[in-house]
Amino acid sequence: MEFTTETIGDDVAVIRGDGRLNMVSAQPLRDTVKRAIDAGRHRIVVELSRVPFMDSSGLGALISCLKSARETGGDLRIVAPSTQVSMVLKLSNVDKILTPYPSIEEASRD
Amino acid sequence: MTEERKNLVFSSPPDDVDAVHEFLESVWTANPEVSEYDRMAFETALIELASNVIQHASGEGGVTCVLSVTADETGLVASLADTADAGGIVLMNREMPDELSESGRGIALIQALVDDLRYERVDERNVWTISRAREAQAE
Repeated sequence: MEFTTETIGDDVAVIRGDGRLNMVSAQPLRDTVKRAIDAGRHRIVVELSRVPFMDSSGLGALISCLKSARETGGDLRIVAPSTQVSMVLKLSNVDKILTPYPSIEEASRD
Repeated sequence: MTEERKNLVFSSPPDDVDAVHEFLESVWTANPEVSEYDRMAFETALIELASNVIQHASGEGGVTCVLSVTADETGLVASLADTADAGGIVLMNREMPDELSESGRGIALIQALVDDLRYERVDERNVWTISRAREAQAE
């Protein structure tokens, strides 16, 4: 799975995944988010519209990235999760800390 | 729907859970009657199971698995037999961890998504079986 990073303003990084977020792609996601935070981008937006599937390894990576962003005074928000991703968020009781945003614009606002 | 059984043999390394996803694609193509939600729930549970088996065997130098999936009028059943040592995975009654935990959700998710999860040790193999009854269809 490939991740691409775009920047908005001074402190937002938009990270897009294309493929399944599972035990194979969890570490590449962590690495991508770490690079953005190390570059001073503390507000991370993960765009999921092209991620049809996520398992608990992928969810663990998202939560790890959320904690990293918060430790530097930032946040991590997710955009446009698929039905399957939303199901995993809900069953895992994490839909309150990873609340989906409908668009990148809304997720990248203060 | 006629009964359809499909098998996959995979070894990790080099195979990973993507092999299971690709295999399930062929199961869904052969069984178009299975609802979208049943596919999603069953695939999520099976990937969690396969990930657990692969992850726990990674310290033992890898694992070979035989996966069999059956789809019929009553539901979906998967049986996964692996060559790892016994006792690597504790199955029963796993609670969902707290929301900021980064791991420990796999078995709890399986339990939420299937009707039955079983483990047996047979001929030096771990045999895991999950089954999910089909959703009631609107008449």
